[in-house]
Amino acid sequence: MTDEVAVHVAGLRMSFGATEVLHGVDFDVRYGEVFCLLGPNGAGKTTTLEILEGFRPPTGGEVRVLGLNPAAQPARLRERAGMVLQECGFPRQARVAELIDLWRSYYPNPRPLGDLLEVVELTEVRNTQVRKLSGGQRRRLDFALALAGDPDLVFLDEPTTGFDPEARRRCWAAIENLRLLGKTILLTTHYLDEAEQLADRIAILRAGRIELVGTTHEVAVRAGLATRISFTTPSALRRGQVPLPDGIDLAVRGPESVCHTGNAAMTLRLLLAWAAEYRLGDLDGLAVTAPRLEDTYLQLTSTNGDHA
Amino acid sequence: MTRTVHLTVRQALLEQRSFWRSAEYALFTFAFPLMILLLIGAANSGSHLPGTDIKNTTVFVPGILAFGVIVAAYVNLGSKVAVLRHDGVLKRIRTTPLPSGAYIGGLLVSTVATVISITAATGMIGWLAFGAVPRPGELLALAGGLVMGTMCFAALGLAISSVITSAESAGPVAYASFLPIAIISGVFDPTFSGLPDWLSRLVATFPVKALAEVLQNAYAVRPFPPWALANLALWTAAGAVFALWRFRWQS
Repeated sequence: MTDEVAVHVAGLRMSFGATEVLHGVDFDVRYGEVFCLLGPNGAGKTTTLEILEGFRPPTGGEVRVLGLNPAAQPARLRERAGMVLQECGFPRQARVAELIDLWRSYYPNPRPLGDLLEVVELTEVRNTQVRKLSGGQRRRLDFALALAGDPDLVFLDEPTTGFDPEARRRCWAAIENLRLLGKTILLTTHYLDEAEQLADRIAILRAGRIELVGTTHEVAVRAGLATRISFTTPSALRRGQVPLPDGIDLAVRGPESVCHTGNAAMTLRLLLAWAAEYRLGDLDGLAVTAPRLEDTYLQLTSTNGDHA
Repeated sequence: MTRTVHLTVRQALLEQRSFWRSAEYALFTFAFPLMILLLIGAANSGSHLPGTDIKNTTVFVPGILAFGVIVAAYVNLGSKVAVLRHDGVLKRIRTTPLPSGAYIGGLLVSTVATVISITAATGMIGWLAFGAVPRPGELLALAGGLVMGTMCFAALGLAISSVITSAESAGPVAYASFLPIAIISGVFDPTFSGLPDWLSRLVATFPVKALAEVLQNAYAVRPFPPWALANLALWTAAGAVFALWRFRWQS
């Protein structure tokens, strides 16, 4: 029924005792996309993921993952969905390739071992004991194990939390590799740059509610943030020899003139017509800056109240 | 069915390989009982149980066999599962379609393999160093006692793993919960006696003395209360019930 999307969540509620932590969450994840659940700590990201993974039955609402009900059909789900949990250990004395190979035996149609090692860039440490791996290597081994059964969908819960920049970069590269394999990926993070770097679409979860869903750009636009247009203030304008353009909220800030708009194309047309009329040329230093996710996120999480 | 068996065996193989790679587990499991066997055995060699012609070592060696079973099944399995749970390995297993039975089965099969190696080592050294051998015709009884002891202490090991709250305390808790009982059960000293009446009765309710007596009876004719077997069966059942009731996949 909901099989045209990989994950379907509607009206999802979750309570622990008397405390409700998810207040009706809705989102869909399409096949083949990288979908990011972005939000501050305590927003309910991990709880949402645990429900989708079949570890917790939800208090209310509808959840379908790969057409399955996770809480009722966990075994079938786990044959087709790979899961990387936030903190999960390995058997300490196992070797990398040996462990991946054991994991492959759990699944009906495993990916080839060499292929898995390559995707997560662990080929050179294939015979190393797990306890000797670095944090970043362990996380990539997490990916390899989650990928062992050649799943259609991969869950990644805060994949780079606590990593140094180099480890994050390699981790991101591994996630890019997953994307190239055509996997649907649902990841959570509280890092903006991570969401911006990896995600096709983003849902901002705050205090148990989805605030916004869309591409990076859509999210920013829907948050009501304006595109910024700026150019070097023409000397004629600075000297007051030309009037300000009509219909544009232009602010002259010394050497730079700036306006914010919800309709960049219309504003640009007006601006260029005005420049032509007063012979201001092509407007030196003209720059159009799309609203950034960071602005959206900061605005949402700072002005709309406290975290849950 | 065959798939579950196959997965169980693969799991057990990884556990065994990990066991032998891990110096502390392998060393403790093997070196500790074998060292006690040689040191205390040497101190006892030549002497006899008071008022009998039974050599001390003939009773002492099967006592150490019991000790080895307990270390391999109870201490090792119990602390291993506690560490696996603490490290989140059990939780990770839950993210895969591996049947829980195959995973626990693998741990148990690996435990049995460890019991077999330590029993073989203890038995051989007991025979070569002290001439202690099972009574003729009692090999089957010895094997049966080892099987019952392994089942009992593996069940208790799984049970204690749910009580242990941290990886650091796993080994110490497992040892501390049985070593004093082993000492006053006379496992390390065949001539051990002089306990207050109430204490020796209390000690007899634990499965340590019961297992030691069952195995000792296979080596020398000993007062063999049939309820030693009943004792082991009861503790097996109690351990299994507690383990099933309290088992958690994450801490």
